[in-house]
Amino acid sequence: MAEDLVLDTAIRDWVLIPLSVVMVLIGILRYFVSKLMRSSPSPDAKIVKEGQVIIRARNLKAGANFIPLRSFRTRRLYFSNEENGLLHVPKGQGTNPQAQMFSDPNMAMDMMKKNLSMIIPQALTFAWVNFFFSGFVAAKIPFPLTQRFRSMLQNGIDLSTVDVSYVSSRSWYFLNLFGLRGLFSLILGDENAIDDTQRMMQMGGFGFDASKSLGAEKDGLDIIQHDWALPRFEQRAESVLRKLVK
Amino acid sequence: MVTKTEETELNQLENQVENGGGGVWEYLCLVRKLKVRRSELVLKHGLSILNDPGKRSALGPDEWTLYEQVAIAAMDCQSLAVAQNCIKVLQKKFPESKRVGKLEALLLEAKGMWEEAEKAYSILLEDNPLDQVIHKRKVAMAKAQGKPSLAIEHLNKYLEVFMADHDAWRELAEIYVSLQMYKQAAFCYEELILSQPTLPLYHLAYAEVLYTIGGHENLIAARKYYASTIDLTGGKSTRALFGICLCGSAIAQLSKGRNKEDKDMAAPELQSLAATALEKEYKQKAPAKLNLLSSALRSLKLS
Repeated sequence: MAEDLVLDTAIRDWVLIPLSVVMVLIGILRYFVSKLMRSSPSPDAKIVKEGQVIIRARNLKAGANFIPLRSFRTRRLYFSNEENGLLHVPKGQGTNPQAQMFSDPNMAMDMMKKNLSMIIPQALTFAWVNFFFSGFVAAKIPFPLTQRFRSMLQNGIDLSTVDVSYVSSRSWYFLNLFGLRGLFSLILGDENAIDDTQRMMQMGGFGFDASKSLGAEKDGLDIIQHDWALPRFEQRAESVLRKLVK
Repeated sequence: MVTKTEETELNQLENQVENGGGGVWEYLCLVRKLKVRRSELVLKHGLSILNDPGKRSALGPDEWTLYEQVAIAAMDCQSLAVAQNCIKVLQKKFPESKRVGKLEALLLEAKGMWEEAEKAYSILLEDNPLDQVIHKRKVAMAKAQGKPSLAIEHLNKYLEVFMADHDAWRELAEIYVSLQMYKQAAFCYEELILSQPTLPLYHLAYAEVLYTIGGHENLIAARKYYASTIDLTGGKSTRALFGICLCGSAIAQLSKGRNKEDKDMAAPELQSLAATALEKEYKQKAPAKLNLLSSALRSLKLS
């Protein structure tokens, strides 16, 4: 059983390479199609404002020790005031991101488009691979594997005695699926190298959830103890000047 | 802000281009990327590329970006005919384009036809109410027409939505200072310090505004901010050194009536050190004025 099977080089020429080439081409095609189909985002004024509010609140947190106490207090009040502070989200109104997503037709369309553009090529390619390239050993994985992987990697091969390292072309397909990101970043330029794994992760994430981040910023601001850093600067300036003057 | 490496690269390319070496296109791309204002050079060299049909076709699709860049530079240098030509070319290629629409409105502004420009901008804003560039153009128009209060109104509305835009805060602060509304200017400078606490420019400006408002507390705060400027610039800021001396003497004058509340003498020698540093700098850079400086400092200390 430990003997090595000799695989026909024709497999390499007619299976492995064409499969990779086809997947690369499909990836490029998908990129261009997504560029065509992408609807220009019409930013909502409220969302933009909330984003900017968060940036400003973060700046306040970061630089709090550089401004005088009174200014800091006024600003903090402006942000977290119970009635009309910018960061205050009244309990009932907190936008539920899911409800918002389904009620906003644009976003729903966008998600659908993204999902479809990913699922359809994957399904088609998978079916094509299964149809044409099944039933034979395509490659040998260089490291040994346990028996558990047999059902996953050796799908068309119905011999239970073949070493698990010998896999069918389906596993080559999966390998390409997850590994072509580097190639795409070379071809399409660095920012566009999203391959399927990243898209799958993106599918799970929801839209920008503003209310939670606002609440988080508000809590962060409330915690801060203001420690005016400027008096220390006076002493540092003194030492700087002393050195300069010597 | 432009980093040091980018600045040296820009200067290098500029020298190269001015002395007849190649690299015009790289220079123009760098200027566009860094958003620096080198309108004369851009105009001169951009036109040389555009007027030469061989070089122009070598650019391919970037040709239109170059037209846009040259149009804006031409308007900055008041060569309105050149700008008009560029815009006409762009209009032929991209009719009904918002970007070209912006350029047209900009041309109306450059010609001084304020109402038409105002109308054009309002139409553009209707399509895209969140366009930052158009809002800023409206502010610039108000300023150019000599209506600073209108400019302030527009800027405030803009900042209500885009409150993290520190360039806008800076512009607002400068307009307030020009109108002598120092308390509001102080608020703006505080915003700027919050967003970029390590930039000595803002500390210095804030200190100056505080000094101008006056009053014991503000003077003490101003002194502290002058000190932080000195710390951030390594003692090289002449203005901050002068600021410390002046603050010191102003505080001394104000607290003559009160008892010596020495709670703020965290750095008692700061004033004399600043004076010495100033004298040293004047000796190096402007020895002719050293006597003037010494007598001025002496009178400050005495008063």
